[in-house]
Amino acid sequence: MHDAPADAHVPDNKDVWLVIPVYNEAQVIADVVEHARQTFPNIVCVDDGSRDGSAAAIAPTGAHLVQHPINMGQGAALETGLRYALNRPGAEYFVTFDADGQHRVEDALRMLEVARSGQADVVLGSRFLESRETVPWLKRFVLKTVVALSPTARKLKLTDAHNGLRVLNRPAAEGLRIRMNGMAHASEIVGKLARSNWRVAEIPVTILYTDYSRAKGQSLVNGVNILFELSLRHRGV
Amino acid sequence: MVIQFLLLLAVAASLFYFVRQQHGVRLQAGKRLAFVAFLLFAAYAVVRPDDITAIAHWVGVGRGADLVLYATVVAFVFVVINFYLRTREMERRITDLARAVALRDAEILNQHRLPHPPAAGEGADTALLAAVVAEGKS
Repeated sequence: MHDAPADAHVPDNKDVWLVIPVYNEAQVIADVVEHARQTFPNIVCVDDGSRDGSAAAIAPTGAHLVQHPINMGQGAALETGLRYALNRPGAEYFVTFDADGQHRVEDALRMLEVARSGQADVVLGSRFLESRETVPWLKRFVLKTVVALSPTARKLKLTDAHNGLRVLNRPAAEGLRIRMNGMAHASEIVGKLARSNWRVAEIPVTILYTDYSRAKGQSLVNGVNILFELSLRHRGV
Repeated sequence: MVIQFLLLLAVAASLFYFVRQQHGVRLQAGKRLAFVAFLLFAAYAVVRPDDITAIAHWVGVGRGADLVLYATVVAFVFVVINFYLRTREMERRITDLARAVALRDAEILNQHRLPHPPAAGEGADTALLAAVVAEGKS
């Protein structure tokens, strides 16, 4: 992971907040934060009740730290991080970023450029727009299936409903209220976008499937849980 | 047969209850009345099993015990749905509570931790207060 010099033509990104939900990522979180902070000065890590000392790993870094008193799920952590960032003075753009180091800062910067240009209120990362990198085939199949089963993702013509890398401008971040605490929040976000008036753009990104993220990442079994959570949500309750 | 009609009615009622958004006072009272009725029915079935068998024959079920079993299954489904809805509501409240606590603590923690506090400058306390109050309202 080597950045191009990020400060060449880009603004200093003081109006950007990186929101990183953290759950049991003590091994890597400090490196991920320090690396991202070379480009983005404002980072908030939401420790979602980790039991491996993730909070202690974040403490010496320059990131803001919000600690859930209990584990509530990635969706809840994202929502908390967004609320925290929205309260910071001068915050205009919000980037959701994964804690396990599978997202690239360069991709976030390119997505940010699109958001800054005013072409879109929400910019989503997609693994599938260009098939230049190697998504494991089984994962590719499952993620494609989730997209195919999601009417909202089809409506927005999205290719990747479950990418954790997103850029939102302030109105979109304020309007978005994530209510699915678990992993179904990704589909929930896409659904809200489809029902909103925000302009949504999708940008190809590269996911770094390291051994660490592969071991940690959403297991395929989780796909079953996501479908279950979502199907119950549609029962109107 | 009458029993089929009754059971289908019960399924439809559970579905309606599940999909319904708001649970008002009237529904609450209805649930309690249904609970009392179920208890009375059970007590009656214990005291006068022959009567229950007669009712069972009338609605098209072989034995009184089977009728009690059917009624129990219907009651069970209602109870499960009820618990599910209640658990979800409770989870939502806990989430709001935990989030409010986390955000409040974070405001204080990060102001001490970071060299450039989040709401630095003259109005730091005012900004902190405003943020906490705003979060409380939302």
